[in-house]
Amino acid sequence: MIVAHVRGHHTRPEELDEHARASWLGKLDPRAKIVGAVVFAVATALLTRTDLILASLLLAVSFGAMSQVPYRHLVRMYLGALPFILMASVSVFLFSGLERGFDMWARTSSCVITLLVLASGTETYELFSGLRRLKVPKLVSTLLMLTYKYILILGDELARMKTARTARGFKVGRGLFDGRGFRIISYTAGMVFVRASARADNGYEGLRARGFRTDMRQMRTSRLKARDFAFMAWFACLSSLLVILQLGASQ
Amino acid sequence: MHIPDGLMDPLIAGLGWLEFAVIAAIAIYMSGRRIKDKDLPRIAVLCAGIFVAQMLNFPIGGGTTGHLIGGALFAIMVGPVIAIVGMTVILLIQALMFGDGGLTAFGLNAVNMAIIAPLMGWGVYTMLKPLLSRGEVQPGKTFTAGEAFAIGAGAWASVLIASAACAAELAVSYAISDGAYGIAATVSVPAMLGYHAVIGVGEAIITVGVAAYVLKVAPEMFKSTTSRPVTTMGIKGILSSRIAQATAAILIAFALALPLYFIYSSEGADGLEKTMEDAGVGEPEPLLTSPFTYGEDYFAALFAGILGFVAVALVGLGMMRVLRAGRPAE
Repeated sequence: MIVAHVRGHHTRPEELDEHARASWLGKLDPRAKIVGAVVFAVATALLTRTDLILASLLLAVSFGAMSQVPYRHLVRMYLGALPFILMASVSVFLFSGLERGFDMWARTSSCVITLLVLASGTETYELFSGLRRLKVPKLVSTLLMLTYKYILILGDELARMKTARTARGFKVGRGLFDGRGFRIISYTAGMVFVRASARADNGYEGLRARGFRTDMRQMRTSRLKARDFAFMAWFACLSSLLVILQLGASQ
Repeated sequence: MHIPDGLMDPLIAGLGWLEFAVIAAIAIYMSGRRIKDKDLPRIAVLCAGIFVAQMLNFPIGGGTTGHLIGGALFAIMVGPVIAIVGMTVILLIQALMFGDGGLTAFGLNAVNMAIIAPLMGWGVYTMLKPLLSRGEVQPGKTFTAGEAFAIGAGAWASVLIASAACAAELAVSYAISDGAYGIAATVSVPAMLGYHAVIGVGEAIITVGVAAYVLKVAPEMFKSTTSRPVTTMGIKGILSSRIAQATAAILIAFALALPLYFIYSSEGADGLEKTMEDAGVGEPEPLLTSPFTYGEDYFAALFAGILGFVAVALVGLGMMRVLRAGRPAE
């Protein structure tokens, strides 16, 4: 089983796709979702007024609640990002006061929640396909798709290796001076690369057999529909309103 | 080290995107020319390998753990240009799938972990390798102790400099926004540098271990040492020399950090000048005046920095040569 490497919170990528299928967000064009999320994140990042930041946070939470993505899943992923958010917020609180610290927490949380809803409400390959159609370079989008495929495979391999070494009595040491522990961790990582290399060669043959020529061909060619435009317009209007109110307040 | 949205001042976040866009465009163009279709799955697998290796936590003491960043390892294995593209792909997956690092802050995250980390790691390794990899490889080992030190130093420097860049971005954000964004330098600099100086040791040990293992079992994975012919004549020869490229890699990291200096720099007096002012002591006329200054704009300062770096590097190499000339021949 693959685990999210981020700060120890456990999330299977397959699990993300399950939520995407359950959510109405999954039916929207990924381009609309990416553009909407980016516009909202940029607008929120510009806010410094507490009431507007709170409004943005409320919108993000409402978006999460309406998305039909299980709230437990969103909370678990949010908790993974929380330590860094709290470090920043507490630092600002100590140096600039409670209100600034609160603003920092709310603003960052608003953006993180929106991004998590986007990630959870979109199937992974749809997301990459959306990036491709938003003119992300072919090399990057092809590598994204191939890398994700291999992450699932290698994650399983790593889990098996971890199980094997635990069965042999391996325990993570207490510090940097645990030479044996570090050697085992290094060799485990090294073995991941070596097994990965062997798989790449086999993978290439398979890809060639399916007609791969330096580029993952685009199988999805859907057009933006009225609901996609409505989604983008909704985010654009809300984001514009927040920015206009912010700029009006600062003049 | 993944910066979320809303933490950075919009100006600094925009600057990060601008720097990332320029470097990434160059790296993608250069990679596109070098990568053949059969290399793509191999590079994707390396990206996946680095991503998965990042899941391996190692102990750093006090009950806390760190994890591999992998920028130096990637660059040492396939070269810095492809490593920049590969690390960008890893960061994109982390940001889009796990919300680890924001969209507006993606430029800064990519500058720190996908550009500075591989460039510094590869630059330091490439500069130190010819100086340290003398002597014979011990039986059962894959490289000399000196070469292992060069790999470790590259990995450590990659983590430390990337974290220093992150700390500087946080500090400058805090300073220019009057505390609305970022983290104060008094918190961000010691916290980031202190923590990552220790994590860097773990990164160095694991990078050396992984490199030793992979070199022993699958040496063909180290493409950076075998894939390019070496030209020895003229300007092309100088540009294709590893030392010149390593120097360029380190200078690019310096050039990326310079805008932050201009945003943050103060017109006020430094510590000594302030003390002299307070004591009523004037600065006497200098005996000699240098034809160079630190520069008033970005390119002048960049030129001064490059000049200073090359001068220090030449003096250092000259001293090494003098010391080596004094030793008896092996």
